Amino acid sequence: MNLSLEYALPVLTDPVVIGLIVAGTVMGVVIGALPGLSSSMGVALLLPFSLYLEPIPAIALLSALYCAGTFGGSITAILINAPGAPPAVATAFDGYPMATKGEAGRALGIAAVSSVSGGILSVLVLLFAAPLLAQVAYSFGPPEYFALGVFALSMLASISGEAPLKNLIGGCLGLLIATVGIDLTTGVERFTFGVPELYEGIQFIPVLIGLFAVTELLNQAQELGRERIAVAVSALKLPSLDDFRRVKNTILRSSGIGIFVGVLPAEGSTMAAMIGYNEAKRWSKNPDAFGKGTIEGVAGPEAANNAATGGAMVPTLALGIPGSATAAVILGGLQVQGLRPGPYLFEEQPGLLYGIFFAMLLANVLFLFIGLLGAKVFSRISLIPRTFLWPTVFALCFVGAYGLNQSMVDVWIMIISGLVGFVLKKNGFGPAPIIMGVVLGGLVETSLAQSMIIFDQQWTGFFSRPITLSFFALAVISLLGGKIRSVFSRLLSRTSRTA
Amino acid sequence: MKHHDTITGLALLVLCAIAYWLTTGFSEVPALLSQNVPPTFFPRLVLSIVATLSVVLVAAGISREPEKTGRPSATFWRTVVIIASTGILASILGTLLTLGIVAVALPIAWGERRYSFIGILAVCLPISIYLIFTLGLNVHFPAGQIVGLLLEN
Repeated sequence: MNLSLEYALPVLTDPVVIGLIVAGTVMGVVIGALPGLSSSMGVALLLPFSLYLEPIPAIALLSALYCAGTFGGSITAILINAPGAPPAVATAFDGYPMATKGEAGRALGIAAVSSVSGGILSVLVLLFAAPLLAQVAYSFGPPEYFALGVFALSMLASISGEAPLKNLIGGCLGLLIATVGIDLTTGVERFTFGVPELYEGIQFIPVLIGLFAVTELLNQAQELGRERIAVAVSALKLPSLDDFRRVKNTILRSSGIGIFVGVLPAEGSTMAAMIGYNEAKRWSKNPDAFGKGTIEGVAGPEAANNAATGGAMVPTLALGIPGSATAAVILGGLQVQGLRPGPYLFEEQPGLLYGIFFAMLLANVLFLFIGLLGAKVFSRISLIPRTFLWPTVFALCFVGAYGLNQSMVDVWIMIISGLVGFVLKKNGFGPAPIIMGVVLGGLVETSLAQSMIIFDQQWTGFFSRPITLSFFALAVISLLGGKIRSVFSRLLSRTSRTA
Repeated sequence: MKHHDTITGLALLVLCAIAYWLTTGFSEVPALLSQNVPPTFFPRLVLSIVATLSVVLVAAGISREPEKTGRPSATFWRTVVIIASTGILASILGTLLTLGIVAVALPIAWGERRYSFIGILAVCLPISIYLIFTLGLNVHFPAGQIVGLLLEN
């Protein structure tokens, strides 16, 4: 630990570094809060400017933006049901219903405290357990990733409520959307209809914006003549002692999940948030309240998605394998700086590594204050009349969808996704399972194809690996969870009657 | 009258059939190149799962009472037209002008009659986007065919 402090103290006492961390945190919250502008895009845009800085301040700036951007996305998720970034998708499930019930300030406060707790816990844990966690993630092969993907998809049966069957179908439709584009193994075009812009696949961000924001805009248009559910904005509230007691276990559990998921290569905050939400629901004494505006439904994904940012940096730095999309951009930044991420970095440059870890820790502490103050300013967005708010939101959606690749095809994808999302919503299909399917699509398909090659086309190969088997078992439990619970409760009630 | 789930399930089955038919048009690749995992493998696997789940949805819908649903309002349809036309308008008039038009059309379609506020939004929104995204973040929007023609002349 002395060694860590020896390298970290010069970083923490450097005013330039602290100034950059503050700037990165503010920018992260702002960028994360704007629909369509994710922390990945923010980090990518900032990367060229960071090259004028020394490695430690540069990476500290990007890391701070990464941490704060993940929280920033939750502000608009809660206030206008338009997640600023993919990791905030699950926050909208309960954050927005809370806002419609006049508890926007409470929801934002819970989100801020949960995010900070998750972020700080992940950095603290990683400081001491990074090599061990990295080793666990490194032992995962394609079959394990496929099984993990199946497990994640199976959990769709329990999210956003009333229709497990429709959630599973939605997840599969998401997987299908992810197959659009050129197959990387064979170079064959799939569902591209000869449109060159679709060769690289359908971008995730336009689909996300369309399914959430444009669908909601259409929903608002239909609700105009009806009684309005106002998003009342009171002063932003830090959680009361009672609230904190209620969510503390959720925060701890979700932080653990976030760290674990984050450390897995290629997995990021979005999956962590989804699993964090599912687990918060599963462990809740009142799971029926989920989706209707409960604080555990906000705390679960927020703690998990921020805990995943710390986790994602471990394989990025220790193994040279990006832990998430944003971490991949940071990885590129390290390489341009002339550094060689990988196991040797721990031995050769402990100062840089611990400097980054402490920069992330500081960023998390800072955005508790900046995030709360910023959120209060952002909360004014819902005071704007709907007739002015939604054209502005649509303009941000347009810009967000376009800005990613600067392509009008992405704008069309956003519009079509919004229209399809509205039709699906009217028929009982939530947007979240589709998004989950789109996110997991590439990973599931690639890992399945690689596994089939490894196993020489024998499906039974999956059952010869203990980790894979465990994930499949969890998937089965997840799918049959409701049935198992009802059988158990019937048995219990019978036993109590007999007694 | 059928339950919504029955109709939805049938629509999904039709979608699966069309998507499956589309997979038959994928280019053939030698087994050696695809390593025995052809490009049709995963889409067809997913489609078969969707089809199976859709059959369950149809069956579940048959046994349930039909639901009453309201028709979309005129405001809703006006909103759909405005949103859908932005993609076309942006390529003709340019993004910033199109977003200015949306800032006028959408509030009016939604019943807003405070024209001074609408005017402020229509001017401020495109300018803000230009300042933040074009100047600040280097995002360049399409100028549109009309602006292009004007610049050429």
